[in-house]
Amino acid sequence: MAETDGATASVEPLSTPSTDATSVSATAKPPPETQESIWLRRSVIVSFWLVVVLLGLPVWWKTTAIYRAELPLETMGAWAESKVCQPAFPLKVAVEAPIPAQDAQHLLRDTQHSLDELNDFSAHRLSLLLADAPFVANASQQIVTDGIAVDVSHDEDIALSVRLVPVETGHTPRSLLQPYSPRLDVYYGPSQLPTAASTGSPLATYIAEELHKLFGEEQALLAHLLSKTPGPRAPVAKRLSSGIIAELEHRSTRALKYAPTYHLTFSLFTPINIPSDWDIESALQRYMSPFLDSLTGIHNFTIDTQVQLYSGYTPTVRPEFDEQSKSWTLRKEDLSGFINAAEWPLTPSIGAGPTVNFVLYVPDRSQSPLVVKETGGNSWLVPQWGGVVILNPTEADEAAPAIMTREALAPAMHTFSTQLMSLLGLPQSPGCLPLRISTLVRVRAASLLFSASSTLGALARLYNALPSIPIPDKVAKSVDLTTEHLQLACDSLKEGRFHSALEHARVAEAEAEKAFFERSMVGQVYFPDEHKVAVYLPLLGPVAVPLIMAALKELQTTIRNFKARRSS
Amino acid sequence: MKLLLAGLIQLLLAHHALSEHTSNWAVLVSTSRFWFNYRHLANVLSLYRTVKRLGIPDSQIIMMLPDDMACNPRNIFPGTVYNNADRGLDLYGDNIEVDYRGYEVTVENFIRLMTDRVSEDMPRSKRLLTDDRSNILVYMTGHGGNEFLKFQDAEEISAFDLADAFEQMWEKKRYHEMLFMIDTCQANTMYSKFYSPNILATGSSEIDQSSYSHHADNDVGVAVIDRYTYYNLEFLETHVRDASSKVTMGELFDSYDPQKIHSHPGIRYDLFPGGEQEARKRLIMDFFGNVQSVEAEGAGRVNATEWEEDLRAIERMVEEAKRRHNATLAAAPQHASVIEEVKVMEGKRHVATEGAVRVDAAEGWSKQVVGFASLLGCAAIWVVGSWLEAR
Repeated sequence: MAETDGATASVEPLSTPSTDATSVSATAKPPPETQESIWLRRSVIVSFWLVVVLLGLPVWWKTTAIYRAELPLETMGAWAESKVCQPAFPLKVAVEAPIPAQDAQHLLRDTQHSLDELNDFSAHRLSLLLADAPFVANASQQIVTDGIAVDVSHDEDIALSVRLVPVETGHTPRSLLQPYSPRLDVYYGPSQLPTAASTGSPLATYIAEELHKLFGEEQALLAHLLSKTPGPRAPVAKRLSSGIIAELEHRSTRALKYAPTYHLTFSLFTPINIPSDWDIESALQRYMSPFLDSLTGIHNFTIDTQVQLYSGYTPTVRPEFDEQSKSWTLRKEDLSGFINAAEWPLTPSIGAGPTVNFVLYVPDRSQSPLVVKETGGNSWLVPQWGGVVILNPTEADEAAPAIMTREALAPAMHTFSTQLMSLLGLPQSPGCLPLRISTLVRVRAASLLFSASSTLGALARLYNALPSIPIPDKVAKSVDLTTEHLQLACDSLKEGRFHSALEHARVAEAEAEKAFFERSMVGQVYFPDEHKVAVYLPLLGPVAVPLIMAALKELQTTIRNFKARRSS
Repeated sequence: MKLLLAGLIQLLLAHHALSEHTSNWAVLVSTSRFWFNYRHLANVLSLYRTVKRLGIPDSQIIMMLPDDMACNPRNIFPGTVYNNADRGLDLYGDNIEVDYRGYEVTVENFIRLMTDRVSEDMPRSKRLLTDDRSNILVYMTGHGGNEFLKFQDAEEISAFDLADAFEQMWEKKRYHEMLFMIDTCQANTMYSKFYSPNILATGSSEIDQSSYSHHADNDVGVAVIDRYTYYNLEFLETHVRDASSKVTMGELFDSYDPQKIHSHPGIRYDLFPGGEQEARKRLIMDFFGNVQSVEAEGAGRVNATEWEEDLRAIERMVEEAKRRHNATLAAAPQHASVIEEVKVMEGKRHVATEGAVRVDAAEGWSKQVVGFASLLGCAAIWVVGSWLEAR
C-alpha cells in the first residue's frame, strides 16, 4: 500500500539498476492516483484497524481474562472480625419444685437474682425455668407458667434440671449431681424455703452458688475461646487468671482439631511373637462403645485394629533396670522417641477423618515390667496424636498367653478411654457425663463458628491479595452457604438451641473449607514481564508493524495534503 | 501501671504457651530428572533418611522424586542410591515411601500440595495435612537460576509463586513455623520474595553463584551429592545424634563454610518473629525431628468393678437418649435444615458433573460462542471485501 503512495513521490523501484538511478526515476514517475484508489486504500486500512480494535482486542481481553466470581468481601470481613455475631450462650435450667407455684416462682426469682450477681461473664447466662415436678403432675403434660412452656422430658435444650427434694434429716441444704443424667438434686429443709415477705433465702443462694460452680469450667473454656477471636469483645470478656489461661492453652494444645469423623486405630506391638492375637473386638464393644455412642451427637468414629509382631520400640531408646523396684524404667525424655515411627505402620491413611492412634505395647518378658521412671505409670498421652499404654504381662500367667483376653485388655481400654476424652477436649468437670458432653457441644459449636469465620476472612484477604487466581462461581456459592449457616448457627446459639447450632456451624465450616480449598483456585504460574514480551512479540510484531506504519503514513499524507490545501 | 505490666506479662506468657508445635512435617522435593542429575535425588533421599531417623513418620513426609535412579538402566548398582563414594549407606533401602513420582512432580502439583487444593480422591498420605501447630521443613533441590527453579526441564517455579503459595498457607493457618532450605544455583534468590511471617529460609548460593556438587563416584559415574547438602548432612549426622538433641539452628548456620561449600550460603531471618536472635535459638529438632511433648500419666489403679458399672450406666444413658431422640423424630420427622441440606447436595451434584472439565475451560460455552462469532465476523468481512472488489 505504502509503496504505491504516489503523493510522496520519493520511492524508488527496487529493481532499478543503481548505475542509472537518476534518469530512471525521472522518466518512470507513476501517474497520479485516482481519488477512487485513495479511498479504497483508506477504507482497507480502516477496516483492518476496525477488525483489530473491535474484534481482536476484545477476543484477546476475553480469552486472557481470569474469571473471578463476585464475593461478598465486606460480609466475609465482618464475619472474620466477629462484627456480625456476638455469640451468647443462654442456658436453660429447669427447676422442679414440689411446692405451690407461687412459692416456686418466688424461689426462682431469688435464685436467678443471686445467680446473676455471681455471674461475671455476660455471654454465658443461666436462666431458670419452672418445670412441672414429675411427682406432682403428669410428666408428659406441658405446664404454662408466666407464658413460658417447658416440657422437661422432651426438651433437649434444657441444660440441667434441678430437682428440689424436701428432707427432714441430715445436713441441709445439700446437693447431689447425678453422674449419668443432667440432674442436680437439692435437698432442703422445709424451713429454708423463702417466704413471700423475705428477700433472699439461704436455699436460693445455695442453689445459685452450686449452679455457678457447676458451669465454672464451661465458662472459663468459652471465655478463653472468645478472647482469642478478633473484633469487639469487651462485653463478653471474663477475666481469667494466668494460671487458668495456661491450663486452657495446654489443654487446647492437647486436644484434636474438630472433625466430624475420627478414625481410631488400635495397634498391638510386641517385640516377640506373643501375644499373637487379642480379643479386641469384644473389648472395644464392651469398654469403648458405650462412651463412643454417647458422643454420637458430636463426632462419628470409625475403628480399625492391627497386631504387629516383632516390632520393638525405637532402638535408640534404652530402658534402665531399677534395682529398687525390680523394673525396667523409661526416662521421660525417652517417651517422645519411644514410638518407632520409621518401622511401625501407624496412620495407615484409611478412613475419612484424622487418625487417633492408640498403641498397646507388650514388652518382652525379659524386659518386664517396663514403666516410666518419673511417674511409675505405664501410659502416656501424645497431644493431638493419641495414646500409648505399656501392658506388662502379669506375674500370674507364667505361660505367656498367645491370646490376650478381654479382661486382660480392660485396664488398657480404661486408659485409652480417658486419653480419648482429653484428646477430644471433653471438659474435666463437673462429674456428670451428659453435662460435660453438652459443654463440649457448646464449645465445639463456638469454635467451629470462629474457625469458619476466620476461613472466610482468609479467603477475602487472598481475593484481594492475589489477583492472578481464578475464583469460580462454586466458591461464591459456598461462601453464601457459609454465611447463611453461620447466621443460623449464631441465631441458634443465641436462642439456646445448641445442637442445631453445632449442626449449622459444622455445615458452615465444611462449606468454608470447600470454598477455600477449591481445586481450581490455583493461580497461574507467575510470568515476568520480559517473558510476556517474548511470547507476544514474534506473534504480533509482523502483524502490528505494517498496520501501524500504514496508518502513520496515511495520517502523514492526509496532514500534508491538508496543510498544502490551507497554504494554497 | 503495675496492673498493666502484669497484664503484659500475662499476655507474653499466653503467647509463649501458644508457640508450641505439636507436629512436624517435611516436604522434600527434587525437581530434576535424568541420570546425570543423580545427585539431586541423592540429596533428597539423604534428607529423607535424616528426618526419618530423627522421628518424623512417613505419613508426615512428602517426598517428590521425578526420576527413579535406583532402577535406571545405567545404574551399575541396581536398586540402590548412594550419596557417597564409599557406598556405605544405601539410601534407597527397603523402607522408603515416595509420594510423588515421575511426571507427578510438577509445579502445579507442588503448589496444590502446599495449598492443599487437591481433588477429593487424593489419598491422605499424599497431602500436607498441617495446621497452625505444625512445623514444616521444605527442602528443594534441582537446577535453578535467578528467582526460578526448573521442574523436570519442562517448566519452572518462580520465587513469586513460592511466596504466594506460602502466603496462602499462612492465611489458612497451615503452618506454625517453616524452615525453607534450597540447594540450587542462585538459590538465595528463591526466598528473596517471601513475605509471609514465621519462615526461616536458607539457601546454598548467592545470586550469580553456582552451587556445586561435592564429589563423584567413579563407579556410579556421576556426582553423588551437592556440597551444601553434604555439609548440612555432615553436621546433622555428627551433632544431632538422637531425638533428644538440643543443638540449635544457629549452630547449624555457623557451621556453613563458604570455603568448603564453594558458594555463599544465605540465611533469611527477617520473617521470623524475634528476628535473628529467636530464629537461631530454634532447635534443629524443631524442624528436622518430631519431638512431641508427651504427658506421662501416673500409675492410677483402676477400680474395675466401678468402671464397669460406669460403662453400663453410660450405655443406659445412650439408650435413653436414643429412645428420646426417636420419639422426637417421630413427632417432627423432618427438620427444616435437613430439607435444606438435601437441596444443597443436589446443587453440588449438578456442579460435580462439570467438575471434570479443566479450569481454563470452565466457561467453555461462552468461549466457543465468542470464537464462533469471531470466525463468522472474519468470514463476513471477507465476503463484504470481495463483494466490494467485484463491484
